Formats: sequence, C-alpha cells, structure tokens
Amino acid sequence: MAMENPTSTGKVPSLNMPYRTFWEKTRPIQVAILFLLPSLILFSVFVFYPLFRTIYLSFFLTNQKGLPTVFVGFDNFIQLFQSADFLQSIEATFLFVLYTVPASVVISLFLALLANEKLKGIHFFRTIFASSLGVSVAAASVTWLFIFNPTMGVLNRMISFFGIPEINWLADPHWALLAVSITTIWLNLGFSFLIILGGLQNIDQSLYESSSIDGAGYFYQLRRITIPMLSPTLFFIMTVSLINAFQTFGQIDLLTGGGPGQTTNLMVYAIYKDAFVNFNFGKASAEVVILFLLILIVTLLQFKFVEKKVHYQ
Amino acid sequence: MKRKMIVAVFLLMSSVLLSACSGLSHADDNRIQIVFWHSMAGPPLEALNKIVNDFNQSQDEIYVKPEYQGSYEESLAKFRRVGGTANAPNIYQAQDIGSKYMMESGDIVPVQKLMDEEHYNMNQLEKNIRNYYTVNGKLYSMPFNSSTPVVLYNADAFNKAGLDPNKPPETYSQFREAAKKLTQANKGMKGFSFLNYPWFFEELLAVQGGEYINQNNGRTGLATKATFNSQKGLNIFKWLREMQKDGTLANYGTSGDNESSGFLTQKVGMFMSSSASMAEMFKNAPFKVGVAYIPRPDNIERQGVVIGGASLWLSKGKSAKEEKAAFAFMKYMASPKAQADWHIHTGYFPINPGAYKEPIIIKNYKKTPQFKVAVNQFHDTKSTYATRGPMMTLMPQSRVIMSRAIDDLYQGKNLQQSLDTAADHVNEAIAQMNLANKK
Repeated sequence: MAMENPTSTGKVPSLNMPYRTFWEKTRPIQVAILFLLPSLILFSVFVFYPLFRTIYLSFFLTNQKGLPTVFVGFDNFIQLFQSADFLQSIEATFLFVLYTVPASVVISLFLALLANEKLKGIHFFRTIFASSLGVSVAAASVTWLFIFNPTMGVLNRMISFFGIPEINWLADPHWALLAVSITTIWLNLGFSFLIILGGLQNIDQSLYESSSIDGAGYFYQLRRITIPMLSPTLFFIMTVSLINAFQTFGQIDLLTGGGPGQTTNLMVYAIYKDAFVNFNFGKASAEVVILFLLILIVTLLQFKFVEKKVHYQ
Repeated sequence: MKRKMIVAVFLLMSSVLLSACSGLSHADDNRIQIVFWHSMAGPPLEALNKIVNDFNQSQDEIYVKPEYQGSYEESLAKFRRVGGTANAPNIYQAQDIGSKYMMESGDIVPVQKLMDEEHYNMNQLEKNIRNYYTVNGKLYSMPFNSSTPVVLYNADAFNKAGLDPNKPPETYSQFREAAKKLTQANKGMKGFSFLNYPWFFEELLAVQGGEYINQNNGRTGLATKATFNSQKGLNIFKWLREMQKDGTLANYGTSGDNESSGFLTQKVGMFMSSSASMAEMFKNAPFKVGVAYIPRPDNIERQGVVIGGASLWLSKGKSAKEEKAAFAFMKYMASPKAQADWHIHTGYFPINPGAYKEPIIIKNYKKTPQFKVAVNQFHDTKSTYATRGPMMTLMPQSRVIMSRAIDDLYQGKNLQQSLDTAADHVNEAIAQMNLANKK
C-alpha cells in the first residue's frame, strides 16, 4: 500500500520544511498510478467494465436486441435456482471438473516423471508428450469427433475387437460427459506436462545425490523429495486446470452441443445458448455472475486448504 | 553495386506482393462493393461461390463479396449485434425461423420496396415460397435457398430386404414395417434414423396439418402458446418410440455428419434429411439412393411440407446506390439460370419455376429422376396455416427446447410429459419475451 515514509528517499527531512503540500505528500502514489496506468486502462476496458455491465444486466429482462428493458431485481437468480435445467448444468460442471482435473494432473505428472529420466532420445518423447499444447481446441475436437464416431470411429472398432458392444459415445447420456472429459484431459496434458517437467528440472540434484548416499530408494525419493519440491508447480497446475475446466466451451460446442439430454450442458455452454441463441441476456448474465462466484469460492477454498500443503522453498 | 542489386530485387518483390494483395481485395477498381453474409458450407458453398463469381464476371459495376458467418444461429447472433449500423452487411442470409425477428428488427428494407420501384415481376417466383416471406401483403425478403425434408433411402438395401425400391413406404406403419425388414435383411443396419434436429419434428407435425403455436401458427396474430403437444405431436413421438422398441431406430444425437456417414456406410437404411443434401448423397453413396415423401400417420391425410431454408434480406441505412446494387444481385440469384445451377448442385429447389425449363435441369432429371420427388412433394402441398409454417421470434429458442424433448424420447421418458414440459418452457419464454419487449 502507499505508505508515507519520508525516510525512504534516503534523505533526512529538513527541519526548514515542516510543511509539505498534499501534492508532494502523495508523490509515491502518483508515481505508482502512473506506472499502473496502462494495465489499469486495459483492465477497465476489458475486465472491469464487462464485469459491472454483466452484474447490471443480471437484474434486467432484455428485449430481442439484448438491451435491458424491465428491472426485475433478483428474479433472474431466483428463477435460475428453481430451474431443474440450471441445477443440472451446475451438477454437470462439477462432475466434469471432477473427471478432468485430477486425471490430467496425475497423468501429466506420470508422463513428466518418465520424461525426466536421462535416456537416449528422451527429447523425442518430451516433444510428443507436450505436443497437444500446440493443438487448438477446435482441431482436437474434430479429431476426437472422428474417434468417437459410432459407425467408423477407431474407438468403437477397438472395443468391438474385444467383444464389447459398440458405444454411442456422444449420443448416449451415460457416456457423453465422459467422452468430452477424455478429450479435455488429452488437451490439458501438453500444458500440464510441460509445466511439471519444468518444475522437475528445477529440483536441486544434490538433494537426490545426498539421499542416495543415505540409501533412499526411488519411491522414497519420489514421496519425500520430488512431490514436496514440486508442490508449488502442482498447485499452480491444479488451480489453472480447475478454472479452465469451469470455463470449458469449445469441446462441448463441437462434440455434443450440450446434449444428450442436457448431460454435457456445462455452465459456460448454457450461458452461451441463453445469450446468443435465445438472446436472453438478463438470464445469461445472472448465470455468469453465479459462475463467477462459484469459481471464486472454489479457488479461495483451494488456497485455504490445499496451499497449506504446498512447500515453498 | 551488389547491394544496389539486392535492394532493387527486394523493391521489385514487395511491389509485386503489394499489387497482388490489392488485386485480391479489389480495392483498386471503382465497382460498388456489396458485402453478402451467408451460412453456406460444404457443397452448397462451392455452388454459391460459383454463382457469385458468375455474377461478378457478368458485369463491371458491382462486386459482391461473400462472407461466411458460421451457422444460421451464429450469423443471426452477429446480425442482431450489427444490424442497423455501418458494419451491417448489404445482404444477409437469414434462416426461415429467423424471419419474424428480421421483420420486426427495423434494420432491414423490405424487398417489396425495390421490387415496386423497379417493376420487378414477382409472379416469376414460386407462390408457396413467396407466401412464407409475405406478411400483410408485403414481401420482406428475396427467397433464395429453399428446401423441404425428404426421406432418403438405400435402394439396394430395399432390394435385399424384399422391398420395392420404386414404391417406398408412405405411412407410419409402412415405415415401421420397412424398417424391420431392412434391419433383419442387412447385417449391421438399422432401418431408420431420426436426427435430433427439431425441424424434422415441425415438419412431421405440419404434414398432419398440426400447428406448432396458436394464432394460426402465429400467422394471424402474436402467438401466445405452444400447441405442438397435441395429439398430432404425440403421434410422431409414439411412432418413433415404437421403432425404438423394435430396435430399428438409430440414434445419432444431434450430429448430422455422423448420421450421413452412417447412411453412406450402410449402417442406416432410411433417414429424414433436408432435400438440400440430396446432391451430395447421390454423389457419394456407393449404392443407389431413393427419395421418398416424409411419413404420415395411417389415418391422417397428407397436408404437405413447410418450406425450410433461408432468404436474402436487404440492410437498412445503406446508400440508395448500394441498395440498388444489392437488389441487382438478388435478382440475379433469383434468375432461372442461377436457380437451375443451384438446384442441381445442392438439392435446394428452384424458387423460380422458370428454372425447370433450363437445359441443365432437364438433363439432370433424366439422369437422376429422384430430384423430382422433393419438388413434387413440395408442389403437392396444400396451402394451410400448418404448412405455411410457424412464425415466431422465439423459434430458435423453441428448437433448443424441443431438442431436449427429443432427447427424452430417446432416453425412454414419458412421451406426453416430455412434450408438455417442452410446451411449458416455450410458453414461459413467450411470456417473458412479451414482458421484456413491452417497453
């Protein structure tokens, strides 16, 4: 914060100047604001204004052009919490988070541990494992659309080889959310892998050397050195994946369109439909506000409970 | 000396690049540029580009720039944002069910105005299609791509199942029977597929003379209630449920691509399709493709089909010169020649009956007479409020709602209840919209 500390300039305040103007007193704040100005302007235009505008719109009904017309107070929110569809959408979102976040962190940790070994040609595998980072959501979804295709898809051919009956991955309400989750985990892998690998390589090698001298085995080292030293990285990955999972849109739009039977209608997709198909900006804005609060709460909880276990060097 | 050479080469190269760029954007000539937003992809896009190119080359005053804006839903969302501003396109292709919004938006000029000014002979356009886009005696938009639903079937599989491919089924029970035989006789094939695309439900309702919303399908006043949860609506669901129980109904969810690939790989014997994808199916299927009228209940007389597809709208607020140029392009799009090309390469049918006399159509009908089935089905339609189709601003939303009811059907839920719930949701949405739009 802007604390006023006359000694911070390094000069002893002159006794001849007992009185300073307000302008002079607030000098540090002025300088700070000047430096912050570019980001303040950008944030105001692209974050703060839309945020407040959304909160404002959530209290209104909007007409067919999306302009607010009738003030309804908290009606939009009340209606949402009474609507089975919206509650289902929240449930689906949480399920989706549950399916994707732990799985992508665990799998990418596993891959990173493998790729961290010093072997010949390991760079090839590192590149392969990180490659989904370079694939856009749209391209990945279309590829998976082919994989999931009920008639010609690779996946169904594979399972029918083992005598399992064909599964209608994207049209069967029991499988659709799982199918979208698989796609998402695959998409997340590249990024998580790369960050975790970076974290692994930052761990001081002398720790391993000295523990080896003490006779520690691989798994003991993993548990006592690698995971604790990696915990800041893992925490970062978890937080980022969590927020990403809450905001998933592209895969849903391309793979299922929120169907079948609402089972993959995640919140952001529900918001999109209400806003841009139904042109119901009031309701959509209320959903946005709820999503915002949910992410805020979950992230705060994460910082409160999970971060305690994080070991910062 | 050497350096000078290099500089010269670079200068030359960049000037070539620059001129190439300007050549692409056509910024250097004096033609009036008309921006045309559309939603055509795949083979229809190729056909559209050809027509636009033909137009651009046929004269040197107007240059039409087509811009793909995503699906009909996506482009409508965009137009709603820019309509009436300088960023609005000169011509906008709006889906049939977006028509009501367009008429009320205040961002468009009814084409009737230019037709009157230029004494355009409206009678050359197909009457049934004109009717769809006419309200209070005023034609609002230029019809362009009109399609109807048809049933496409695998004629080879029909032969195998002992069915006559020249006498396709007509009624619900005949379809059910045929689906059974197809499933039995062809390994790995399901008899029928019904995509979760509520347009087909709307059509199956209209063919029975059922109305989707009250106020005569919203044609004589503002609709206030959904009426699709009637006995006629239930007929459709019951029939599909029966086939589902028979194990003859394939479920491809909302993915039309998966459905057509299922048909092409002989996993599905018959499916409801838009006539607009006929040309593509004829071209790609490794078997003979038959075309049939859409099914009706056994005890109800066939009323016909509602026109689907899209039409072209003129933006308001453009200069008179641009307006006239845009209209000139519309006239070209509606001409017999352009419509004949369009029909043959897509399966959308000619909105200008003059096209049927074009040699390209006559030649093609000899080769693939199936094209004619769709046209005949359309011409057999009785003009009623049911077959003129529902007019309501909320149609896009009602499709989202109906899509859920169709999911319920596939998941084995109570049919009447699913339809009633959908109707309730539509009614709520109507009530809320009327409240929001009062001011």
